Amino acid sequence: MSTDAATIGLTHGGSEDTGLGHRAPESKSIVVPYGFWLFVLSDMILFSALFATYATLVNATDGGPTTNELFDRNLVAIETMALLLSSFTCGLAMIAAKRKNMTWTQGWLLVTGLLGAVFLFIELYEFAKMIGEGAPPQRSAFLSAFFTLVGCHGAHVFVGLLWIGTMMAQIWAKGFKEHIMRRLLCLSVFWHALDIIWVAIFTIVYLIGTLP
Amino acid sequence: MSQDEDNLIDVAPGVPHSNIVSETVAYVIGLALALILTGVSFWVASTSTLWGPGVAVGLIVLAIAQMGVHLVFFLHITSGPDNTNNVLALAFGVLIVFLVMVGTIWIMAHMDANMAPDPALMNLQMQH
Amino acid sequence: MSVIFGKLTWDAIPLHDPIPIITSAVVLVAVAAVGILVWRKGWWPYLRDEYITSSDHKRIGIMYIVLALLMLVRGFADALMMRLHQSMAIGAAQGYLPPEHYNQIFSAHGTIMIFFVAMPFVIGFMNFVVPLQLGVRDVAFPTMNNVSFWLTASGALLINISLFVGEFARTGWLAFPPLSEKEFSPGVGVDYYLVALQISGVGTILTAVNFVTTILKTRAPGMSYFRMPVFCWTSLASNLIILAAFPVLTVALGLLMLDRYLDFHFFTNDGGGNSMLYMNLIWIWGHPEVYILVLPAFGIYSEVAATFSGKPLFGYRSMVFATMIICVVSYCVWLHHFFTMGAGANINAIFGIASMVIGIPTGVKIYNWLFTMYGGRVRFTVPVHYLIGFMLLFVGGGLTGVLLAIPPVDFITHNTLFLVAHFHHVIIPGVVFALMAGYTYWFPKAFGFTLHEGLGKAVFWCWFVGFNLAFMPLYVLGFWGGTRRLQHISDPSWAPWLHAALLGVVIIGAAIVLTVVQLWYSIKTRDQRMDVTGDPWDGRTLEWLTLSPPPHYNFAVLPDVHGEEAYWMRKQTAIKEERLIDEPDYQPIEMPLSTPVGVICAFFASVCGFAVVWHIWWLAILGLVGAFAVFVWYAWQDEHEHIIPVDEVRENARERRRIRMENLHKLSQST
Repeated sequence: MSTDAATIGLTHGGSEDTGLGHRAPESKSIVVPYGFWLFVLSDMILFSALFATYATLVNATDGGPTTNELFDRNLVAIETMALLLSSFTCGLAMIAAKRKNMTWTQGWLLVTGLLGAVFLFIELYEFAKMIGEGAPPQRSAFLSAFFTLVGCHGAHVFVGLLWIGTMMAQIWAKGFKEHIMRRLLCLSVFWHALDIIWVAIFTIVYLIGTLP
Repeated sequence: MSQDEDNLIDVAPGVPHSNIVSETVAYVIGLALALILTGVSFWVASTSTLWGPGVAVGLIVLAIAQMGVHLVFFLHITSGPDNTNNVLALAFGVLIVFLVMVGTIWIMAHMDANMAPDPALMNLQMQH
Repeated sequence: MSVIFGKLTWDAIPLHDPIPIITSAVVLVAVAAVGILVWRKGWWPYLRDEYITSSDHKRIGIMYIVLALLMLVRGFADALMMRLHQSMAIGAAQGYLPPEHYNQIFSAHGTIMIFFVAMPFVIGFMNFVVPLQLGVRDVAFPTMNNVSFWLTASGALLINISLFVGEFARTGWLAFPPLSEKEFSPGVGVDYYLVALQISGVGTILTAVNFVTTILKTRAPGMSYFRMPVFCWTSLASNLIILAAFPVLTVALGLLMLDRYLDFHFFTNDGGGNSMLYMNLIWIWGHPEVYILVLPAFGIYSEVAATFSGKPLFGYRSMVFATMIICVVSYCVWLHHFFTMGAGANINAIFGIASMVIGIPTGVKIYNWLFTMYGGRVRFTVPVHYLIGFMLLFVGGGLTGVLLAIPPVDFITHNTLFLVAHFHHVIIPGVVFALMAGYTYWFPKAFGFTLHEGLGKAVFWCWFVGFNLAFMPLYVLGFWGGTRRLQHISDPSWAPWLHAALLGVVIIGAAIVLTVVQLWYSIKTRDQRMDVTGDPWDGRTLEWLTLSPPPHYNFAVLPDVHGEEAYWMRKQTAIKEERLIDEPDYQPIEMPLSTPVGVICAFFASVCGFAVVWHIWWLAILGLVGAFAVFVWYAWQDEHEHIIPVDEVRENARERRRIRMENLHKLSQST
């Protein structure tokens, strides 16, 4: 067992030993994204509780507006395209970052952010329209559940946009250092996870919710 | 990250690990598959050619497929030995999501079915 | 209602209620006294650099346990007040607590004991012990660990502020709607509860991410999964449950906040709200929560049983499997908390059977501990007292749990004193005894000297006698129809039972006082019980390899692990061959720096929380922005580590080797 790999703190290490469980502590580039993956999974469990709430309350309209009266599938299609494309461009940004290409990385990150902003803009427009039509979240339990589920996802997208902006600034100021790359990797995991949640939302809330 | 790439026995989720062309192609394939599945979902939800009750099930299956595409092509979650921890964590998460959603829906549906009738209805019944 | 102060007015200070006012005055005086002492003795720089800003898991663990012990005083005071009141409120007597106060006291008692005593205590132990047992230098994310602690402390702070600015919830420790909705609880009590728990909940989820990553990804070379100590397995299971359950708590409490703050209709009586949904969500969290507490406790018992029997733990693999089965099944039983809510016979039956099934792996563990002790040379130290007390009592508590798992029985006993007796019967012998055992067991590792043994035994007997006297009568009263949370007792024949229970609580109070005395006396006479070698108990796991207290970086060289019970093998070889292993090649060590980011973030979180409670919106936004800004500032720094030079590492290591070599014969206590 090589001592040099094993002795130095947490930031190095990882011996050549094969087989899971026999190695010394993993390096930070393994440990940090794994921890973040665990956090993303806990966030998915949070969304599952919101989905469960929505499923329970979807018919509790209190005589008020229902799914069929409120949802516009065309808007949803555009939102879906925007978010899916932004996942793709986020992947391209990661490929560029791995090659330490400043222009392409920043470019694709910017496009990702813009597509995310388009998504949010449409969502906010939809919310404003619903509130204007007498369907605010305070109208019924169904609407409370809808606004919370979809709104929580939107809030996550917003945080993602803040994060994209911060990463662009950090990459610009510090270059492609190891810890910057780790953060970028975490951001991309977060961004893809957001699209996974959106798949569930548009399928369950907007498509199944408005079946004839 | 590049020098221990070849020695990378344990792989962080989301790390691409081959050359630029194959990496990009993976994303393009993922995008294409996701677009197709999304398109099919929207079509399935609006067509009348399919049997009614099957539509919801079909949409769920399509959604799961889309999630799978994201996991494999964008997040690079594969079944290799270096990915075991990541897959196990995902499996655990999926189990809990399943328990929370199915458990809640099942329990709340039963509660709903066992609720006393509406007071107005109850009055009517009492009056015979 | 004003823009600057929100709902906050001078009326928020309860000048007309003697108990909160006197308590607050005492607390403020005590805090001021401690502050002056620290300032005059010049302890502040040490406290600031070595504890408050520390990212060292050992220091953070100690801070968690200090927080838990402080909150224990408040939680226990609530219990004493409740018992005293009930004894004084029988028949014609009315007691001394009007309902609106009594309700706050039992709500505070439960909330504090679960969230701010049991959780921090358990997490404190996991913090201190797990990295040492895994043979590594720290957890995976040391700075995040510091943040987690301070967020928990922030929640505790808000709960304490509610005592003298405003009021606390009157809804019980889980704040069921519709009572907890704005319509029926218009005051700030429920808001304090919700905000405090949401803030500390973030800290707890981050802890779970930290520990699952640490245990799965960072272990000493050669430590495969089946060579890990059982305490690490139970910590893994507990943190997996935290990861899975706390998001659901966040949702349940968050939806209630939306109802209260933005007039949503999740759980209201009108608008289509469904308060049963809250019950479902909160108990999806609530049941796994008790396993979060009890699994590490079982881990402590495993360590204690093996060490003080002088034998390896019996049935290591079955212990691991039992732990992981409990981890999963704990997520499949939550409906047993609301059998009576109307899901119907079929669902009740399924969850009832699942609730009984979870007793099976628990039984496996009890047998394993018994067989560990059987055939061993058992040393009856204080931790072993707690172990035996636990085995005797917990089985009873578990059996009453199996009784409650039968839906028709539960229809009679639900929310009676029988239930109250049951959960205290499992949690006190199960969790509290383990915490006391762990406290005694690992105290020397943390501070370099052992606690006084005689006083420790006195503490145990007070807990053992006090607990039985306090809670066995409640089983009887429960069967007689006594519901929980009664502010007035109408049946005078219950009096002797209630008085016995009060006496029991007083004896538990003696246990707590004696614990403080034991600590003070042990510090005073510590020179008589110094832990010279770092291994005062003839331990079997890697934490006993270091000196007491260990250096910041734990191990000069990460130990090579060659089998189960790595340390035991190494020690036996050293004793037999009368020499230590060859001196390794020392290297400089990189360790994380201390940072104020945790305490500053938590400060802003507390400000935001307080502002949200009192509807002071500008201050809430300021708090939120402040917390975010601190985080961004921290993330912008490039240097988060410092290097410990190889000379320092070598010197410390050689000192350790010298002491161990000199005292080799003293290490073994089983012959």
